[in-house]
Amino acid sequence: MITVRGLHKYYEGHHLFKGIDLDIKKGEVVVFIGPSGSGKSTFLRCINGLEYFQQGEIVVNGIELHSINRLRPDRKDLENIRKVRLKVGMVFQQFNLFPHMTVLENIIEAPLQVLGADRTVTIEQARSLLRRINIERKAESYPEELSGGEQQRVAIARALAMKPEAMLFDEPTSSLDPEMVGEVLSVIKDLVNEGMTTLIATHEMGFAREVADRVVVFDSGDIIETGPPGEIFTHPKTERTRVFLSRVLKR
Amino acid sequence: MNKSGWMKNFLRVLSLCIGLSALLFWVAPSRPANTLEKIQKSGYLLWGSDAEGGAPYIFPDPKDPSKLIGFEVDLADEIARELGVRPKQAQNAWDSLVPALMRGDSDIAMNGIEITPQRQKEVLFSEPYYIYTEQLVVRKDEEAIQGVDDLKGKKVGTLSGTVAQDILMNMGGVDVKIYAGQVEPYEDLAIGRLDAVLLDLPIAAYYAKPNPKLKYAGPPVGEGFYGIAIRKGDEDLKKRIDEILDKLMRTGRLKAIYEKWDLWNEQQEKLFLKAGGTEGYVSLEESKKAPVYTFFPTLLKGAGITIFISFVSMALAVSLGLVLTLMRLYGGQPLSGIATGYIEIYRGTPLLIQLYILYYGLPNIGISMNPLTAAFLGLGMNYAAYEAELYRAGISAVPKGQMEAALSLGMTRGTAVKRVILPQAFRIALPGVTNDFIALFKDSSLVSVIAMVELTKTYSILAASTLRFFELGLIVALLYFAMSYPLSLLARRLEDRLKRSKR
Ligand SMILES: Nc1ncnc2c1ncn2[C@@H]1O[C@H](COP(=O)(O)OP(=O)(O)O)[C@@H](O)[C@H]1O
Ligand SMILES: [Mg+2]
Repeated sequence: MITVRGLHKYYEGHHLFKGIDLDIKKGEVVVFIGPSGSGKSTFLRCINGLEYFQQGEIVVNGIELHSINRLRPDRKDLENIRKVRLKVGMVFQQFNLFPHMTVLENIIEAPLQVLGADRTVTIEQARSLLRRINIERKAESYPEELSGGEQQRVAIARALAMKPEAMLFDEPTSSLDPEMVGEVLSVIKDLVNEGMTTLIATHEMGFAREVADRVVVFDSGDIIETGPPGEIFTHPKTERTRVFLSRVLKR
Repeated sequence: MNKSGWMKNFLRVLSLCIGLSALLFWVAPSRPANTLEKIQKSGYLLWGSDAEGGAPYIFPDPKDPSKLIGFEVDLADEIARELGVRPKQAQNAWDSLVPALMRGDSDIAMNGIEITPQRQKEVLFSEPYYIYTEQLVVRKDEEAIQGVDDLKGKKVGTLSGTVAQDILMNMGGVDVKIYAGQVEPYEDLAIGRLDAVLLDLPIAAYYAKPNPKLKYAGPPVGEGFYGIAIRKGDEDLKKRIDEILDKLMRTGRLKAIYEKWDLWNEQQEKLFLKAGGTEGYVSLEESKKAPVYTFFPTLLKGAGITIFISFVSMALAVSLGLVLTLMRLYGGQPLSGIATGYIEIYRGTPLLIQLYILYYGLPNIGISMNPLTAAFLGLGMNYAAYEAELYRAGISAVPKGQMEAALSLGMTRGTAVKRVILPQAFRIALPGVTNDFIALFKDSSLVSVIAMVELTKTYSILAASTLRFFELGLIVALLYFAMSYPLSLLARRLEDRLKRSKR
C-alpha cells in the first residue's frame, strides 16, 4: 500500500536519506526504531508530505508523490499531497490538539471542513469514537483540561474521524508520564487488531515486539536492518543494532 | 460555555465595521461644478472659517459654547439669508482656509482674509467688506514706544501669515515673534515677554482694549481689505455676493453688525453710506466668568466625534492589518514584499505627516476626500501597520505543530490558517490590539490638523476664546481618561485570561 523508492532527503546541505527503499503491505504493522536523530520522524513525515524530498518517489494507495527540488511545490504536487493526507492519518508526539476547540470540535473539525460531511452524522460518529477511547464524558472539555494520555487518545480519535486507510504514529507516548503510556498503547493495539495499516516510530520495545509484523531499524538516515521482531530483538544482524538495543533495553 | 464564541462575535463586528467604513468612502464628495447652483440645491452656504482664530471674527458664545458668534457669523447669516439658504460653518485652520476652499471643502472662505496679490493668484475675492488697519499695542506703563517708528530692537509679537507680519519684517531691525493664535501675543505682552504687539485693529479692539494692563500706541497704520474668498471659476457666485454686500451696505445692515461688535470707525465710511442701530457685544471678561458647565454640551459633542472616529478607524486598522499580515506571511512575492514595505513605511514615518499628505497633499494629484474620510483613512492605515505586526507576532507564537496537525488532517493551508492558526493568533494578539485602541483614542486628537473638530480641537477653540486653558484642559483630560480607562481594564483582563490558559 505504501511504496518508497530511492528516497533522498537533504536538510540544508546535510544528506540525511541516501536512497531508501521500503514496501508496506495493506494491514501490515511496521515499527521504526533507532537512536534519536536517525531519521524516523523525517521518514514518516515524508510519507504524508509534511517534509519534501529531493530525489526518489513515494506511492501511497496509487497516488505518486515525486521529489520536489523547486523552492515551492506546484499545484499538482499539492493536490497529490492532500490526497495522500486524506488516506493517511498522523499522530504526533506533542498531540497538537487545537486548544481553542473542545474535544468534540477537535474531532469533527476536519470531517466538516474537509469532507463537507453532515454535521449530525459526524457528531454521532465522533461520540462513538470517544466512547471507544473511553472519554465520552469529556466531549465538551477543552484540551488543556485533559491529561496527556487523554489528549493523545483524542488526537488518535481525531485522525480516525477522517476514516484513514493507514496511520502514522511518531513517538506517540514519548511525552507522556509513564502511568499514561499504557492507555495510549492499548488504543493503538485495538486499532492494529482491527487490521489498520500502521507505521509507528517508538522507543517502546516491548510494545514493538508485541504488535509489529516487521521492525525497521534506522541509524544516521540509513535502514540498517529490517525483519520480524522476534529476529531483530533476539538475533540482531548488525553490530549497530545490537549496541542500540542493549542501550535502550538497559534503561 | 463556548470559548470560540468571542471569535465569532469578533468577526461579526469586524465585518460590520468594514462595511461601514466602505460606505463612508463611498460618500466622499466630489467637487461641484457650479458652486452657486450647489448652494441653492443643497440649501446650505458652507463658509470656511476657523473658530479657533477667535473673537471678534468667529468664536464660541461664552453663554452657550455650542453656538458660534462673531461679526463674520452675523455677516454669513445675512449673506445666506439673501441667498435664501442656511449658513453652515466649515471649520478649518486659518492658514489652510484658502487651500481648503480651493479643494472644495467650503463654498466660500470668510475669516479676516486680507486681499493680497498673492492670494488673488489663487482665488477670486468679493468686494471688500471691511477696511482693517494695524494697531500697535503696548503695556500701560510703556513710555519708550509711541508708535511703529520706535520698534527697532524691540520684541514685537504678531500672527503668522498676516499683513502685520509683513510690515514688521519689512521694517528691519525688529525682533518679530510669530504666534499661531491671537490671544497669546497679548498675554505675553501683559506679562513682559514682549514689548509690543502689532495686529489687525478688530483683534486689538476685542482682546487688548478691554485689558487694563494694555493700551494702544499711536494711530492705526497700514490699510487693507478683508474680502470673501471664492473659487476661481465661480464668477457668478462672486457677482451674487458683491450684490449682496452692496445691499447690506446700502441698507445699513453691515454697519449695524460692525457697531454691535465695536468695529465701526471712520475708515469704514469709505465703504458705507448709511448707519443702523447697535446692540453691544460680549466681552472677553464676560466669557471668562461663564460657569463651566455651559461648555459641557460642546465638549461632549467633541467627545462623541472622537469616539466615532476612533471606532471606525480601529475597525479599519484591525481589518486592513489582517489583510497585510496574510499578504506578508502567506501571499508570496510580490504581495509579501508590498505588505512588508507598507508596514515599514507607515511605522517609520510620523502619523502627522501621513495625515498632511493624505488631506493636503493628495488633492494635488487629483485625489480629494472629506475630512472625516481622511481621518478614518489616516488613522486606520497607520494603525493597520501596527496591528499587522501584532498579528504576525500572534501567528508566530502559535506552535508549528498546529499547522502540521491541520495539514495532516487534509486541510488546505487556507483552511488551516482560517480555522486553526488565526483564532489562536487573535487570542494572543488581543491584549496588544486593545492597548493600541487606547493609543489610537489619544492619537485621534491629531486629526484636528485636517479640519476635524473632535474633542481636542473643541478644547483649543473654547480655550483660545476664553483663556480658560486650565479648567477646560482638566475636563478634557478627564473625558479622555473616562473613555480609555475601561479599555485598559479590558486589556488587563484579556492579558490575565491569556496567562491563565497557557497550554
Ligand atoms: N527541520 C530540520 N532542519 C534541519 N535538520 C533537521 C530538521 N529536522 C530534522 N533534522 C535533522 O535530521 C535528522 C533526523 O531527524 P529526525 O527525523 O527527527 O530523527 P528521529 O525522529 O529519528 O529522532 C537529525 O539529524 C536532525 O537534526
Ligand atoms: Mg523523532
